[in-house]
Amino acid sequence: MSPEVAGQIELFLQVVIAGILIGGLYSVIGLGMSLIMGVMRIINLAHGDLMMVAMYITYFAFTLLRIDPYVSLLIVIPAMFVLGALIQRYLINAVMYVDSILPQNQVLLTVGIGMVLSNLALVAFSANYRSVPVSYAGKTLYWDIAIGGETISLSFNVPLLVAFAIAIALTMGLFVLLMRTDVGRMIRATAQDRDAAALMGVNTRRITIITFGLGSALVGAAGALLVPIYYLFPSIGGPFTSKAFIITVLGGLGNTAGAILGGLVLGVAESLGSAYISLGYKDAFGFVMFVLVLIFLPKGLLGKSKV
Amino acid sequence: MATSGMIRTGWMVGLALALAVPAHAQFKVGIPLPLTGAEAKFGEMEKQAYELAVEEINAKGGVKGQKLVLDIQDSGGRPEVATSIVEKFLTTNNYPIVIGEYTSQCSYAVAAVAERYKRPYLVVTGAADKITQQGWKYVYRLNPPSSLYNEGIWSFFTAVAKPSSLAILYENTDFGTSTSQAMKSWAEANGVAVKAYEGYQAGAVDFKPTLQKIKSLRPDVIYMVSYLMDASLLMRQARELDINPRLFVGGAAGFTLPEFLQNAADASEFAMSGTLWTPQVKYPGAKAFFDRFKQKFGKEPDYHAAEAYAAAYVLADTLKRARSWSPEDIRDALSKTDMMTAFGPVKFVAWDKFTNQNRMPTLVLQVIRKQFETVWPKEGASAPYVFPVPRWRDRK
Repeated sequence: MSPEVAGQIELFLQVVIAGILIGGLYSVIGLGMSLIMGVMRIINLAHGDLMMVAMYITYFAFTLLRIDPYVSLLIVIPAMFVLGALIQRYLINAVMYVDSILPQNQVLLTVGIGMVLSNLALVAFSANYRSVPVSYAGKTLYWDIAIGGETISLSFNVPLLVAFAIAIALTMGLFVLLMRTDVGRMIRATAQDRDAAALMGVNTRRITIITFGLGSALVGAAGALLVPIYYLFPSIGGPFTSKAFIITVLGGLGNTAGAILGGLVLGVAESLGSAYISLGYKDAFGFVMFVLVLIFLPKGLLGKSKV
Repeated sequence: MATSGMIRTGWMVGLALALAVPAHAQFKVGIPLPLTGAEAKFGEMEKQAYELAVEEINAKGGVKGQKLVLDIQDSGGRPEVATSIVEKFLTTNNYPIVIGEYTSQCSYAVAAVAERYKRPYLVVTGAADKITQQGWKYVYRLNPPSSLYNEGIWSFFTAVAKPSSLAILYENTDFGTSTSQAMKSWAEANGVAVKAYEGYQAGAVDFKPTLQKIKSLRPDVIYMVSYLMDASLLMRQARELDINPRLFVGGAAGFTLPEFLQNAADASEFAMSGTLWTPQVKYPGAKAFFDRFKQKFGKEPDYHAAEAYAAAYVLADTLKRARSWSPEDIRDALSKTDMMTAFGPVKFVAWDKFTNQNRMPTLVLQVIRKQFETVWPKEGASAPYVFPVPRWRDRK
């Protein structure tokens, strides 16, 4: 095999690996939004800004208390659950049960919450870019494979691998919660038919609070996992909200299993697109897919819509 | 609205005139700067540099017996705000000269206002070529235009590196595009193959797909133009992918800041970059400025701070030579500026399409043992350059 062909194989495999690894993280970001969508039928447009809050918690846990970003998941997840639950309890629920001119005013409310969060962060933490200088940020594992007399070398970034593993663990945890526990059954029941669930004695108002808390905790976890890889600033949320939105649509609005697939598909598509077409259009690939899926697969990649 | 604004303006002009008589012993300098927003970090550093310079000038008796006083206003890095600040400076405050601003966009907007009011404006950091290519008579620029930021790199390429091919990766902003466009034209004119020419949107999380593609093209040298955080991510990810060109070169900006060393850590080692100024330059006062700044503010100044510091001295020199402190006389004196500053020689000349533009040698620095060392031109070098750089896996 010629070095050129080996180079092309290496390029393709490395690009797919990069896409899958980042896709794992996208999945967790999308999962939270999808869960909220499934239960409440609203798109949470403050999703990325909640992630930003979690990133600042992780950052300050590291700089002030010397807590490793991965350990700080133990702080971030409960803290974000509480923040999300409070937002649902005191802000969104207050609007949800009120008749108004706009049926979707909860969505507008989430836009407002997002703006308030990012501007508060701007005032409190300034616009400076920050990063957490962990020693393992650039740690990489190499895998050399010999094919046809040529060696191709694949690299795996350790923080991304760890993030991927934790993402899988979180996803499995969420599924156990949804499938095996009473709370999970109540969440699924509320998602299927809120009125019927209420008639069966489910406190749907409480379930919405728990669901928003879970969604926030998930995106918070994704934020903490992103900190060693990326950097943070107050307006980081916007692009991630739109990624989460694309994933939610790809997965079939409100389908949590679909959200995982959606995240991986988005990661790989962005990755392939920026390697073989152009990095300048990276964000465009997601939106093109988004439109195509809406037109041809309106119920998402898995073809059904449920939690 | 308009009427009340005019009444207020008129009233304030009157007040300013009334106050101007007893406040004879000071000269006020209007400076718009981004003290909030994305460029706040740089605005803050320049503000400190101005303050340091003015403190020194006043300690030596000021200018013609008068103290310089800074009037620094926050533009938030937004051109429309910078414009209104400068309009206020030139009308309400009636300042005869304006200096400063940080981004190219803001400097360009301010320049247009100054030209309209026929008041001299000294550009200190805005680098887009077009600012001094308009034939404007009142706009002067201390820093070299962005197309010349690469001059030091080119001289190093011609004399030492002699690259056979280049891969160019740039942030698709005004600065990124014009700097890398200049690099591409140079490569084409000098028979260097450009194997990749890729723009990207600032703030990407993962550059690996593009970097992997560049790796498969096996360029001799990789050239990148990026602001702060992208520069670190690019170097980190290039190491992860084990990309081994003979040299990594950055086009100033993100590759020359102390944060680059912290964020990219080991991955920044041996990265080269064009720059305008380093603490090791042999210009008189450069070392003293660096030490004093570091001691006073607890952080290292970069070339932006040196530009601001030098601008204050250029202003003081101009005011000393000006026949009177009317805008016209100040402009005449500014035109005749020919002095040495801590930032380098300052003399406003015209060539090609440029007018009132300072031209000075640009330098090349390289990260060696986690420090920025000036490596080119050889005369001013603080350390010998490392070229070609070792492969990632052979390091340590």
